[in-house]
Formats: sequence, structure tokens, C-alpha cells
Amino acid sequence: MKILVINCGSSSVKYQLIDTETETALAKGLVARIGMSASVLTHKPHDRPEVKVSGEILDHIVAIEYVVSILLSENHGVIKDRSEIQAVGHRVVHGGERFSESVLITKEMLAEIRSLIDLAPLHNPHNIRGINACMKTLPNIPQVAVFDTAFHHQIPPYAYVYGIPYILYKRYGIRRYGFHGTSHMYVSERAAAMMGKPVSELRLITAHLGNGCSITAIDRGKSVDTSMGFTPLEGLLMGTRSGDLDPAIILHIMAREELSLHEANTLLNKHSGLAGISGVSSDMREITKEAAGNNTNAKLALDIFCYRLRKYIASYAAALNGVDGLVFTAGIGENSPEVRAQACAKMDFLGIRLDETKNRQAIAKEMDISAPGTKVRVMVVPTNEELVIARDTLRLVQKQKA
Amino acid sequence: MASTKIVIIGAGVMGQGLAEAIATSGTDVTLVDRTTKLAERGMKGISESIEREISRWGLTKSDKRAILARIHPTSDLAEAEDAEFVIEAIPEDIDAKRALFEKLDGICNEETVFITNTGTLSVSEIAAVTEHPEKVIGMHFLNPVTRIPVVEIVKGLKTDAATFQKAVEFAEMLDKKWITVIEYPGYVTTRIIVPLLNEAMHVLMEGVATAEDIDEAMKLGFGFNVGPLTLADMMGLDVVMSWMENLIMELSDPKYSPCPLLRKMVRAQHLGVKTGRGFFEYDAEGNKISKNGTPIEAPESGIKK
Repeated sequence: MKILVINCGSSSVKYQLIDTETETALAKGLVARIGMSASVLTHKPHDRPEVKVSGEILDHIVAIEYVVSILLSENHGVIKDRSEIQAVGHRVVHGGERFSESVLITKEMLAEIRSLIDLAPLHNPHNIRGINACMKTLPNIPQVAVFDTAFHHQIPPYAYVYGIPYILYKRYGIRRYGFHGTSHMYVSERAAAMMGKPVSELRLITAHLGNGCSITAIDRGKSVDTSMGFTPLEGLLMGTRSGDLDPAIILHIMAREELSLHEANTLLNKHSGLAGISGVSSDMREITKEAAGNNTNAKLALDIFCYRLRKYIASYAAALNGVDGLVFTAGIGENSPEVRAQACAKMDFLGIRLDETKNRQAIAKEMDISAPGTKVRVMVVPTNEELVIARDTLRLVQKQKA
Repeated sequence: MASTKIVIIGAGVMGQGLAEAIATSGTDVTLVDRTTKLAERGMKGISESIEREISRWGLTKSDKRAILARIHPTSDLAEAEDAEFVIEAIPEDIDAKRALFEKLDGICNEETVFITNTGTLSVSEIAAVTEHPEKVIGMHFLNPVTRIPVVEIVKGLKTDAATFQKAVEFAEMLDKKWITVIEYPGYVTTRIIVPLLNEAMHVLMEGVATAEDIDEAMKLGFGFNVGPLTLADMMGLDVVMSWMENLIMELSDPKYSPCPLLRKMVRAQHLGVKTGRGFFEYDAEGNKISKNGTPIEAPESGIKK
């Protein structure tokens, strides 16, 4: 079955057309600058070079029409007829407590997703826009929503309730939700395959280190704790986000600098993290380069990033009562031997030790990088959230037919 | 509202604020002033305003590049030809505004919505010079536009429902809360704030309390973000006085008579933040540097006691 996987942002649409027989992408691409001047569609068929198309792409509906047209086009297309697209899978950021797994989108489901906008005001509205656009452009085919939060729905209350009045959880749903769920789930399953054991027999820690960073403790296939919380701001240090901090700090700064809510929010989300500490960049490649060149603030940012990662790994080993495998994924996790080495240094008390050569070789490919004979398998696994979305979509569509 | 052409006329403080707010929301905007130099000066003002917001953590350097790239300065009024919205942000002078709208009426197509950003003048009087007064509406944004989350949408006598709806969409695009105002002098915000500021000046003039204490009492006592005298300094004392004169002319009520201290300070060009001195003193960046501005002291006596 050919499934169109869609990930909508405020002014962008990322897409892949996935053939579920072969589990490969026939084409992938991005529509950028929707609703602005100079909108552009970048499209890459799997067997031909990338093309760029610019046009007046007013909204998400037009964007989806562009995507469908280029998938059908004679020169750059990969299908002959739009009926070949048999289902659409959507990434939806927040599923709240309502959605513990992917669902077929009906009118009722869409209303429920809409009711979660309060929890994810920056993301869910765009996801909904994408769903509406596909319903219009590709009517009468099944649409499936796959939630970023769903994999974490079995986290126990002692890990998701915060130390503030319980009534606030009841009143506003303030609790840990966790994000990057599809990625954590995918890489944990790949890691289990690499270890030759079912995921139901393993205690795994998965570190998704990209623009946003989160780490998850997975006990026999179930997420039991994760570092992102009510929003994607909590936990590890990130490119421009602070991660964990004493909440009194922000109150103090707001009072001292007379900041508005918006300014405080931007301070934590866009001016902090690697960029804020180093003053160099939010990009780990540049941080690593500068740190090696004796830029002390870049070095400090790198040290903080890796130290916090080590602390989380150790605390999740405690949460799991031991650990069988540690997985690195996403931009930094897949491509930075430096970060992996520093995060795994002085962890031999846990049975974690890297093979230096293998660690250096493992760039954007699946590989076991642990030293021979060590207790914990350390692995690099490129993530593939789109494939998870396609698989879930296929499963739900087949279930509906049955 | 996607890919809407928006043209602002007037690259002064309000025009700059509007252009910055529109571009920050992700929409392109054309900023027109009489000369290229004036339009460019507007761009410089916007750039400085963004820098200030970066230092307050509200924006990032890449936001700055993106925002500035969406603003297109020009001296060519003909740019308004195919605009969906034209927003007038020139000084509060009814004749100048009427002349501008008359000109625009000949340039724009009949679908164009004309927005006048006046705080006190009559939308209907401005609309009367155009062929399509139903397409003219007032939107009173408050300075600084990027920070004040409310806008008054002012219906003129002939403004039609479709135009009102477009103004609402525009306000929502800028993430502003809006209130509807039926055309009447001073609308809501100006009409209510002006007597309050004036009364604070009377209290100061009569020697009841110091400027600093008046502001502190009103801030802490009633939850204002800034005290009334600081607010007057920020608005510009000449502007406050011109509002009062407008109100008294339209409503003939002596409660809008400018406080003599206000008149005196305007004559002395102690206009507030923009001249560095008003009820308080300010540095070039507009930061308050002294808690005392124009001194209120007893005159020296020439008579020997």
C-alpha cells in the first residue's frame, strides 16, 4: 500500500510517500514558506535528483495540492493516478490523555484533537490544518493520526505528576506527557532486533538528540519515564532550550527584567541551551568544533550537555533497575561521536563502555558501538518516524477493512 | 489570511510599530513615506526596536533577519494599487488624512480596505472624501504596537459589515484582542486615559506629592504597569495635549482642559521620553535616568523679609 505521511508546521509541510510493501520512501519533500512570498516546494523522488518548485502557496490546502500534483507529475512523479495514494498518516504532536494510540480520523476524533489545542497551542492547530487540507484534497481515503505523546501513555503517576497542588493536574491536565514518542518506540524496536531479543525482554534507554532532545526509559517495551514533560522544554539541554532548571529562576528574572510572558517564554525556548551558554551556535557541530579550538564557553556548553545526559542515563538505569541497551538517535545522536563518548565516559560502574573505533565509524548508520564484553549494548540507530506513521496507518486501515 | 498585500502609509513611530507587528506575524508589508529617505529611516527605527526586543529576549537574531526581509520600504504611493489593506499612519491632522485618502481613492481598486489609525478623529469625516466610504474603517492601535495586545476597531457611519469582518481578521492575524467602538470622539482608550493623566498632573502641580510617589501609588494601588506621569512622558506631552484639545473641541466639556503645568511643559519643549525630559529625565535609549524631571519649586522672592 502507498501511504502519504504528512507533518505540518505553521508554515511548512513535510511529506513522504511510503510503499509499505518495501517499507521505503518513494519520494520525500518539504513545502516551505506557506502563506508568504516565495513559497517553495522541494521534492526528491528516490531514484531521481531533487527539484524545487516555487509558486503562490497560500495555505495548507494549496500546499497539499502541490504535493499531490508533483507526486503525479510526468518528470518528477512517482505515481500515475491519485487513487494510488490509499491512505494518509498525520503526525499530531499532542494526544493528551485521550489518545493512547493512533486513531482513524473521524469527525468526532478531529473534534477531540481540536479540544487539545490548549495543551499544544504551537503545534496542534497546524496539524489540524494539515488534516483538513488532506480531507479536502484527498477525500474518501482513510486518514490516520499518530501522536507524539502516545508511546508515553503508560508512564506511572509517580513519574508524571508534578510536585505542585494535585488539583492543578485535575483542573488543567498539568502532568508529564513526553514527546518524540514515535522515535523512541522505533529505535527501541530496532535496538531489540540488533540485540536479537524481543523488546519485551529488555530494559532500554533511548536518547533522541536532535533540535529538541529527550531521553526515555523503556521497560520491556513500555515507556516508564521520559525527560520532556508538560511541554518539550523540560529535561536535557537542547539547541536553544534550557531543559531542567529551578522554576524560581524564571520568576526572579521576570521580576528583575520586567519581562512579559512572551519574552520569558522566548528566553527559555530560543535564547537558552547550547546557543545561550556558548554564544556561538545552537548547532552541535559548531559547538564541538569551537570547543576543540579552545573556546571556553563552547566547551562549557558541550560539557553541560553531556553531563546532563549522563545524569539522565544513570537515573533511568535506576528507574529500570538496570539497563541492557542504550540507544543514540536523531541529528546529534546519530552524528556526534564526541557527544556519545563524553556522555558514556566514567559510566563503567553501570557496565557502559564504548569501542572508540566503532564510535567514530558510526555516522548516520545502525551500529553497535559498545566495547566487547561490556554489559550494556550501546547502539546508534537512525530514527524513522515516518515509517512508524506509515506502519500504524497501514495497521488501522487493514483493521477497518477486516 | 494568507499572502495578503498590506501597505502602510507613514513610516513614523506608529507606522514602524505596525510594520514590525505585521512582519512579525509572518506577513509581508510595504512601508510608504514621502521620500525614500524617510522610509529608510523608518526601517532603521524598526531595526532598533527589534534590537531592543532581542535584548529583552523576546526575539532572536534570525527572527530579526526574517522580519526585516518582509518589510519593503518605498516612496511610491502607487504600490497601494493592488493592496488588500491600506493602513494610514500619518500625523493626527484631519486635513492631511483626508488629502491622503482622496489620493488613495484614485490609486486603489474598489475592493481595497482603507484603515485609518486615528485615536481621536472622525472616521466618517475621513471616509467622506472617498468613493467607497463603506470600505473605510478605523483601527486604533496603541503605541508600542508590538507590545500592546488590544486594538479598537472603529466603525464609521457608513462602514459595511464585510469591511468590519476584514478588520477583525486583520486584528486576529496580529494576535490582538479587539473591541468594537462606535465612532465617537476619543473612542474608549484615549477618552478615559486622558483625564486620568491630566488629574495626575494637577496633583503634581498642586504640590500634593512628588512625581515618583504619584506614579508609585497608582502602580501599586491599582495595578497599572506604568504610572500616569511616566505614561504621559512615553506618549509625548504634546500628543496628550493635542488629544485634550481635540476632545474639548468635540465635546465642549471643561473636564478635558489641559492642566496648566502640561501647557507650560509643552511650551518649554519638555515633551517626555522623545526630548529626554518630561516629568522625569531619560537617556537617548529612552531609559529613565532620574526620578525627578521638571522641578516644581517655589519661585524666589525679590522682597526682603
